[in-house]
This record gives sequence, C-alpha cells and structure tokens, in this order.
Amino acid sequence: MRLGPTADEELFARTVRALLERRCTPRDVRAGFARKRWEELAETGVTGLLVSEEHGGLGLGAGALVAVAAAGGRACAPEPVVEAAVAAALLAGVDADRAAKWLRELAAGTAVAAVRLPVGGPRTGGGPGAVPVAHAAYADLVLVVDGHALHVCPAADACIGPVAGVDPGRGLAHVDISTLSGEPPVALREWTVTRAGWLGAIGAAADLLGAARAMLELTVRYAGQREQFGRAIGSYQAVKHLLADVLIAVEFAHPVVLRAAYSFDHDLPSAGRDAAMAKVFASDAADLAARSCLQVHGAIGYTEECDLVLWLRRVWALSAAWGDAAHHRAAVAADLLGPAPAPPCP
Amino acid sequence: MSLRIVVAVKYVPDATGDRHFAEDLTTDRDAVDGLLSELDEYAVEQALQIAEEADDAEITVLTVGPEDAKDALRKALSMGADQAVHVEDDALHGTDALGTSLVLAKAIEHTGYDLVVCGMASTDGTMGVLPAMLAERLGVPQVTLLSEVKVEDGKVTGRRDGDAASEQLEAQLPAVVSVTDQSGEARYPSFKGIMAAKKKKVESLDLSDLGIEEDEVGLAGAWTKVDSAAERPARTAGTIVTDEGEGGKQLAAFLAEQKFI
Repeated sequence: MRLGPTADEELFARTVRALLERRCTPRDVRAGFARKRWEELAETGVTGLLVSEEHGGLGLGAGALVAVAAAGGRACAPEPVVEAAVAAALLAGVDADRAAKWLRELAAGTAVAAVRLPVGGPRTGGGPGAVPVAHAAYADLVLVVDGHALHVCPAADACIGPVAGVDPGRGLAHVDISTLSGEPPVALREWTVTRAGWLGAIGAAADLLGAARAMLELTVRYAGQREQFGRAIGSYQAVKHLLADVLIAVEFAHPVVLRAAYSFDHDLPSAGRDAAMAKVFASDAADLAARSCLQVHGAIGYTEECDLVLWLRRVWALSAAWGDAAHHRAAVAADLLGPAPAPPCP
Repeated sequence: MSLRIVVAVKYVPDATGDRHFAEDLTTDRDAVDGLLSELDEYAVEQALQIAEEADDAEITVLTVGPEDAKDALRKALSMGADQAVHVEDDALHGTDALGTSLVLAKAIEHTGYDLVVCGMASTDGTMGVLPAMLAERLGVPQVTLLSEVKVEDGKVTGRRDGDAASEQLEAQLPAVVSVTDQSGEARYPSFKGIMAAKKKKVESLDLSDLGIEEDEVGLAGAWTKVDSAAERPARTAGTIVTDEGEGGKQLAAFLAEQKFI
C-alpha cells in the first residue's frame, strides 16, 4: 500500500516549493498575504486542488493537499491554501448555483476564502456576535459553519474587523455573523461538516510538519555558525540531541499524516481517527520543534529580526487551529475506547 | 505554415549539490540529482512566449544525454512545449561541445526547424559556445546572448546587452538564438501541465538514426580532453589588516599585488 503522494503530486509539490522559495522569502512573509502570490499559486493549480474539474479545479484529494500544504509550511506562506481546500469541500455540499461562482473564483485565484469551522470547541458560533476567523482580514468569501448551518458570506456584505492574533501572518479578523444580510445559511449534512473538519486537520498537520522542517534546517545552520566557548554550539552533544529529537518527531509524524490523507481519500472507516492522529502527531512534533529551535537559538530566536520567529508564531497558531492536540487525542481515545464516562455527580 | 521552434536543453547535475568528476574525468552524474539546466529554462520560456505570439507554432525540446535526461524533457513539456526528442546512445559518453553540436545539429535537421533557441550556457560546463557551433553546423545565422527576443515576418529580432552598449540584432529565419538569464523568469509548471506532459510524444533517437559514426563522438572523438582535475582548495581565512593609520595603503598594496588595480 502506497501512502505517499503520487509521482505527479510529488513533482507538483516540488514546483510549488520552488515557486515559494523565490516568491515567499522571510521578507515576503513579514509583508503578509499577497494577492499576486495567491494568483501565481492559482496558476499552478494550488488554490483549486479540491475544486472539481467541472469548476476549473483539479479534483484532487487530501494526498495532494498534504504535499502542497507542507511546501506552504516550509516557506511559512501566509496564503490560505488549506482553507481553500476546506472551502471547496464545504461548498461541494451547497446547491450548485450558489456554490459554482465561488468554486470557479477559488480555482482561478480571483477569490480568497476564509473558513470558520469550530473543531473541538462548541459547535455553534457562540450565539450573536463576532467570531474570530483566520484569513478573514483579506478574504473575499467567509464561510462560517454554525452547527450544521453554513453561512456563505461575501466579505463585502459582512462586518469584518481585524484583531490581533498570535501570528499576524494569518490575517485574523472578527466576523459578525449576527448582522449578516442577504441569503439565509445553507443546511449542510453532518457528514459534510465532519469531513471538512478532518480535511482541515490533515492540511494543518502537513503545514505544521513543513514548518517544523524549515525551523529545523534554520536551526541546524545556526548551530553550525554560532560559537560559544570557542566552538560552534552544534558541536556540543546536548545541542545535537535536542535537534535529533526534533527530526525523529517530524519523521515519525510524517507517515501518520500521509496515512490520514490516504484514509480520507479512500473513505476508510478509520478516516476520522486517522485525521485526529495526524493532528496530534504533527502538533506535538511542531511544538517540540518550536521549543527546541528557540532553545538552541537562545534569546535572539524570538526577536523580530530573527526569521525563526515567523515559524514559531505560525506553529503556535496552527497547533491550536482545527482542534488542538488534546482535543484530537481525546477523539482518538473515544474512538478506541468508547465515549468517556460522564463525571460522577457530586 | 507553422513556426517550428526547437529548444536545445541540457540535463545537468544540480548546481547546489556537491559536484565531482568521475574516474574518467567526465562529470559524475550519479552522485548528484540532475535537473533541467536553469539557464535552459529561460530558453524554454522564450520559446513559449514566441509560440504564444505566433499564430501557429510548435515547440520541440531536444536533449542529448543519458536515460535520466528525460526528466529535463518532462519539465520542459510540463511548462508547455509540444513534443520532445531525446538522443541517447552509450557511445555518447564523454562527448565534448563540438561533438554535442554535431549530434544536436543532426537531430535538429531530423526534426525540422525554423528557429533554434538555446540558453546562454550550461550550468555545469558553462562554455557557452554551443549556440555558435550549432549555427555553423546548420549553416544558418546566429543571434546570441539576447535579453529580449521576438519573431516577426520571418525574421528574429532581439536585444543584446553588453557592458558598454545594447545592440539591436536581427536575422532571417531559419536561425539559432541564445537567450540570457535577463530575458525573463521562466514559468512554473502547473499541475495540469505536469499531467498533460505525460501524454506528449518523446521521440528517442540513437546515433545510427542520425547517421553519426561512433568515433565522431564520445571521449575518443572529443577534440578537447581533460588531463587532470583537482578539488578546489578550501577557502583560507585570508589576510586580516588591522588599521593603524596605514590600513588604506596596505589594502592598496594587496590589491596591486593581486593585479586588481
């Protein structure tokens, strides 16, 4: 059984990586989301990965998303590639007329989608008022899932106010769904919402692993340059061990993420559990990478001037997105052991 | 009639890898991953742009090289070229630029052409002489090292930027041109391009198909020979001059000694 991406997907991911190496340097990451880069990614097909061919997309699956999202994570690209895939999955459950326009625009790169799909927390948006949505600051379309209801909000019609987030690169903004005018929300099947959540978790997991690898490379290079007590700090075993542990965590998480994408694409009964496992392993590996790489860099690691901080913030934000490790660990436990017993009454 | 463009490309060891010579002093292709020479990507890009401007054009990418060299052709096809020709023959091992130009010229004549587009040089051999040799062998005009190129009314025109001046050049088709890395960044293949490339025709030719004798090419047929090769010496720490009022003079003396001034 081959879990990894197909040869074509791999070649494609390499192309995306080459494009981002040139177009998404740390300097570009600091400048934030760039519509021009989004359009260039669209030309290669990245924004329409999961959009059906009928709507101008590629009609691929989670396997392709994993390969591409990892390239995005490596470059710390601010563009919402995973969200575009989840949006395509959600819009596939919406009646054709209403969804077609947005699916086409997503694939063509003329629209950017932001998605709010609470995984873990309460399934509702918390009643009236504003909900935080990553990438909403520059999105053209905001999808807010509230229970089984999907609000399809063109950004122009929604009340959106940017707010400070952990990672300024993710364009977090408050979207006030209570003031939405226009068309009523669409009722989605639970299955569509559930699968979209899995897809987000898998995509974020791949993104996290890409980021973890980038941080590791950056830090290995730094450890080879930075001298202390007359030697490069990388020559000390304690430093080597820290970084070796990061590599092990990343390498061990990688097949788990590939497995989740495979299960998703093949509709296996374990797809949900596998997606949860992927997010657990990737979040843990990326968290370890962030901590260890910061440790090896020392205090310079969290200064604005040091590139490491870009990935640190991305990892902190992404670990919590699409359900954090604790949520997914509980989901795995529930799947294997049955639902947790209710706490005893006092 | 359609404009037939042939792009000659080279499959080279990744320039960012650790490149070495093999025992017979040819390029060691096994130790490092190979890819389409970056400088040839510019040639493919210019060919694509010329084809987009033309009403009807067909781009053939051509390479001479081992089995793996198909990767370079695949890349060019996924960028948008229409078909590919791969000349592969065990006897080609160790062929120099002169021999390669012979093989390319025969293959280009076999394919048929109005315009041949080359990169400015390969990233491994970096000789940059092949376009000129090719034009000579084909008996057509050469317009080399262009940073801008256009085809109109049966003529190819372009701008060559020199240190002191820019020249506007033109030649009647058929002709050979080479383009520099200033001609415009090459496009990235899309996923659809990658998928489409799999269905495009790749013609394989060997020396007998081209009517070339084995002793005209290969190490034996090479006009140039590598006698020896040495690793580049490791970088030394250099000379550190502490300025105690005489720093400027010492610096000037060093530069004069190295014949920089």
